[in-house]
Amino acid sequence: MQLAETTPDRTVRLGAQGVTRRFGPVLANDAIDFRALRGTVHAIVGGNGAGKSTLMRILQGVDRPDSGVILLDGAPAIFAGPADAFARGVGMVHQEFMLAPGLTLLENLVLAAEPVDGFGRIDRTAALAKARALEALAGVSLDWDTPVENAPVHVRQIVEILRLLYRGADVLILDEPTAVLAPAQVRELIALLRKLRDEGRTILFISHKLDEVLAVADEITVIRNGRVVASLPRSSASRDSLAEMMIGEVLARPQPRAAAAGAPMLQVTGLSARDLRGHAALTKFDLTVRAGEIVGIAGVAGNGQDEIVAAATGLGRIDAGSIRLDGIEIAGLTLAQRRSLGLAYLSPDRAAEGLCLAAPIAENAIAGHHRKPELCSHGVLRRKAIARHVAALLDRYSVKRASDRQPAGSLSGGNQQRVAVARELDGEPKLLVACQPTRGVDIRGIDFIHRCLIDYRDRGGAVLLVSEELEELVTLSDRIVVVYGGRITGEVARGTAGLEEIGRLMLGGKAA
Amino acid sequence: MSDHAVGTPSFERPAWLGMLEPLGPLVAAFVVAGLVLLAAGHNPLEVYMLLATEAFGSSRRIAATLSAATPLILTGLATAVAFRAGAFNVGVEGCIFVGGLAAAYVGFTFAGLPAALLLPFALVAAVVVGSLWMLVPGLLKARLDVDEVVTTLMLNFIAISLTAWLVNGPLLAPGSANSATPMIAEAARLPKLMPPSTLNAGFLIAIALLGLYALWGNRTALGFETRIAGMNPRFATASGIDVPMLVIKMMLLSGAIGGLAGGIHALGNVGRFVAGFSPGYGFTGIAVALLGRGSALGIFLAALLFGALANAGATIQFFSDVPIEIVDILQGTVMVFAVAQLGRLIVRRRKAA
Repeated sequence: MQLAETTPDRTVRLGAQGVTRRFGPVLANDAIDFRALRGTVHAIVGGNGAGKSTLMRILQGVDRPDSGVILLDGAPAIFAGPADAFARGVGMVHQEFMLAPGLTLLENLVLAAEPVDGFGRIDRTAALAKARALEALAGVSLDWDTPVENAPVHVRQIVEILRLLYRGADVLILDEPTAVLAPAQVRELIALLRKLRDEGRTILFISHKLDEVLAVADEITVIRNGRVVASLPRSSASRDSLAEMMIGEVLARPQPRAAAAGAPMLQVTGLSARDLRGHAALTKFDLTVRAGEIVGIAGVAGNGQDEIVAAATGLGRIDAGSIRLDGIEIAGLTLAQRRSLGLAYLSPDRAAEGLCLAAPIAENAIAGHHRKPELCSHGVLRRKAIARHVAALLDRYSVKRASDRQPAGSLSGGNQQRVAVARELDGEPKLLVACQPTRGVDIRGIDFIHRCLIDYRDRGGAVLLVSEELEELVTLSDRIVVVYGGRITGEVARGTAGLEEIGRLMLGGKAA
Repeated sequence: MSDHAVGTPSFERPAWLGMLEPLGPLVAAFVVAGLVLLAAGHNPLEVYMLLATEAFGSSRRIAATLSAATPLILTGLATAVAFRAGAFNVGVEGCIFVGGLAAAYVGFTFAGLPAALLLPFALVAAVVVGSLWMLVPGLLKARLDVDEVVTTLMLNFIAISLTAWLVNGPLLAPGSANSATPMIAEAARLPKLMPPSTLNAGFLIAIALLGLYALWGNRTALGFETRIAGMNPRFATASGIDVPMLVIKMMLLSGAIGGLAGGIHALGNVGRFVAGFSPGYGFTGIAVALLGRGSALGIFLAALLFGALANAGATIQFFSDVPIEIVDILQGTVMVFAVAQLGRLIVRRRKAA
C-alpha cells in the first residue's frame, strides 16, 4: 500500500483509506480501503448491513469517519458537508430520487443553479440549451416539459444523473440504481454509465445485484461486516466467487418442486379497475391461484400489477368484476374482513406500509393478529401470551435482534422483512399476496424468504407473487402470468420459457 | 441500508435519558424567564422559591394547586387521546364551553332531582354534548381528509360565541345583568374534598380517568390499534385496522373528555355557566399533552406544573413586587419549548419512516 504523504496518486479520483465509523456497538465501517480510478466504473458490493450506506454517506460528506480519510485525486481530504463534496465534483444519485414534485424535468435539472436573465427570471432558453447539450452527451432524448410526477421512473433517474452533470460533478455515486428498473431499462442505464465513463468520468456503483455489477464494473470492491473482503478487477471476478465473498459461504439455490395444485383459492373474473389518475388499468382481467401453487405476475412496473394487488387486498376500488377467496365473494369486503377469511398481504413498501418502524418489533409481529383469542380476550391484550408468541415466531424466522421491544426500524432491511414475512405467514393464511418480497434484502435474506414461500406453498398455501425481479419470479413461480397494459400477454409454466421470452412478453409481444 | 445510521442511535439511548427528555423544555423555560427576571431587577432564585412556596407550601396551597390542575388533567387527556390516533384536536376549548353549559343547564333546570340522579345526569349531558361537538370535525377528517386543526380551531370560536349568546338571551338568569345562567341546584354540586378549598370530587374523576387511560393505552386491543394508527396509518390500514373509524371514535372520545372538563368546572367550581367560562384550559391542555408525551404520568405532572404556576401566580403579587406577567411568560416559554421539542420528534419520526 502506498503512503498518502508521498506524491498523491492522481489516477485515484475518489477513494478511502482506513475509514472507520462506529455506531454504538456496531462497527459499520472497519478500516475501509478502496481506490476508484479516474475514468472507471468502480462497483461496491455487499449485503444489507455490510456498511455500504455508511461508506456512501461518508464519501458524500453527510457523515464523517471516526478515523481514516477520504482520498480525493489521491490526496487525503475530509468533506465539510454534501455541498463541499459537490463543489469538489462528487455527486450522488440516491435510492429514493430527490426530484421536486410539481416542477418539470427541466426545472428540476437546473434547480438551485438556474440560468437567469437580467431581471432575475429563469432564462428558459438557456436552460433548455444546456439540457439539450446534456441529452446529446448522454445519448438520450427527453421531453423536458413533463412534470416530474408524470415521468416514468427510469426517466427520473436519468434526470437525476444529468442534474449532477449539469452541476459539474465528474464523480457519480449511484446507490442501488437498478432497484426500480425493468431489465431493458437496466441495459439502457448500463450503456449510459459506460458512455459517461468513456468520457473520463468516475462512477461508483453500489449494488448487491451481482449480474449488473458484473455487466458494468471495471473494478469491484466487496465489503462484508464493515470490512473490505476483496478488491479485484472485473476480469478475475465471477458471480459465484462474488457471492461467496459477500456472504462468506456458498448458498445452494432453492430447488422448488411443483406440488400438485388444489382448489382455487383466489379467483378473479372480469376485473376492471382504474389507476390513481383515473385511467383504465385493468379491463376484464381473469386470474386464478390454486392451493399449493405460486403464481407470479411479471410486467414492467405500472402495467396493472398495483391494481391487481389493490383489488385482491381491498386497498383500492374496482369498477367491475368478481373476486373470490376460497369460493367466497370478497369484492365488497374490507381488508380486515378479507384477512379474517384467510388473506395475507406482504407489502412492497416495507418502510411505509409493511412495518411500523417506530413501533417495537413485537407490535409489528402481532399487528392484524392482535384480536385473535389466543392473544386477546374481551378486548384486553394478553401480554404474557403475546410475549411468548412473538419470541417463538421471531426465533422460527431467525430474526436477529437484541430485544423484542426494540423498534423495528433498528433492524437491518433483511431482518425487517423477516418480521413482515413471519407475521403474514403466521396462522397459515389461505392466500398470500406477496409484493416485492425481497426488495432491498441481501442474498442470505432472499434465500431464506424464498424458502419460506416455497415451504408455505408445499404445505398447501396459495401465493400470488408480484415482483420486479424476473429471476425471482422464474425461481419461485409454478406459473408466470405476464401483464402488459392491463392485459395478459402470455402465461408461462415453470421451466418452459427463458428470461428473454418473458422479457419480450413484458414489452407487449404476443406469446409464440 | 441506512438502518444503522438512522435507527440504532435512538434505540441505544438509555431509558433514563428518555425519561428526562421532557424536562428539557422546563429547564430552558426557567432559564429564559430567569433572565427576564434578572433584567427586571429581581433575583430569579428568590422568585422561584416564592412560587414553589405558594404552590406547595401548605396543605391548603397544595389543595389549591390540585384544584387548578384538575381541568388541565382533563383537557390534556382529551388532547392526548386524539393525538394518539394521529388527529391534532385543538378544539377541546370549545368542548369545555358547550359541555359546561350543558351541565349547568341540567343543574339548574332539573333542580328537583336528588343528587344521586342529578349529578350523574348533568355530567353525562356534558360528556354527550362535548362528544357531539367533535362529531363533524371527526367525520370531515376521517371521510374527506379535511384538516382537523382548522375545523376544530374554528369550532372554538363558534362554541364560545354560541354559548355567550345563549347566556345573554334564552338562558340568562332572571333579574341578572351579567351574562350568566342561574346558579345550579345544591344537589348538582360536586362535593368538596377539603373545604374551604375549591378542590372537589372532579379531581378524583380526573385521576380515575388518567388510570383508565393508562390501562387502555397499554393493555387493550383498541389502545394498541390507536397507537399504531397514529404512528403509521398506512401500516395500520394494511394490517386490517379501520383507521378512519378509529379517528372518528377518538375525536368523539376527545370531545367527551373535553365536555366533561367543562361539566366538572361548572359543577365543581363556578356553580353556573358564565360568559368567558374557561381561561383557556383547552389550549393549556395542548401544552400539557405535548409536555406529558401522551403518558398518563406525564400528563399528570404537566397539569400539576401548569396548575401550580396558575395558582402561585394568582397570589405571588400579593407578597412581592414581581408582576403576575412573569408567570404568563413562564407558561408561554414552557409551551414554546415543548412544541419545539415535539417538532423535533416529528422530524425524527419522518426520517425513520
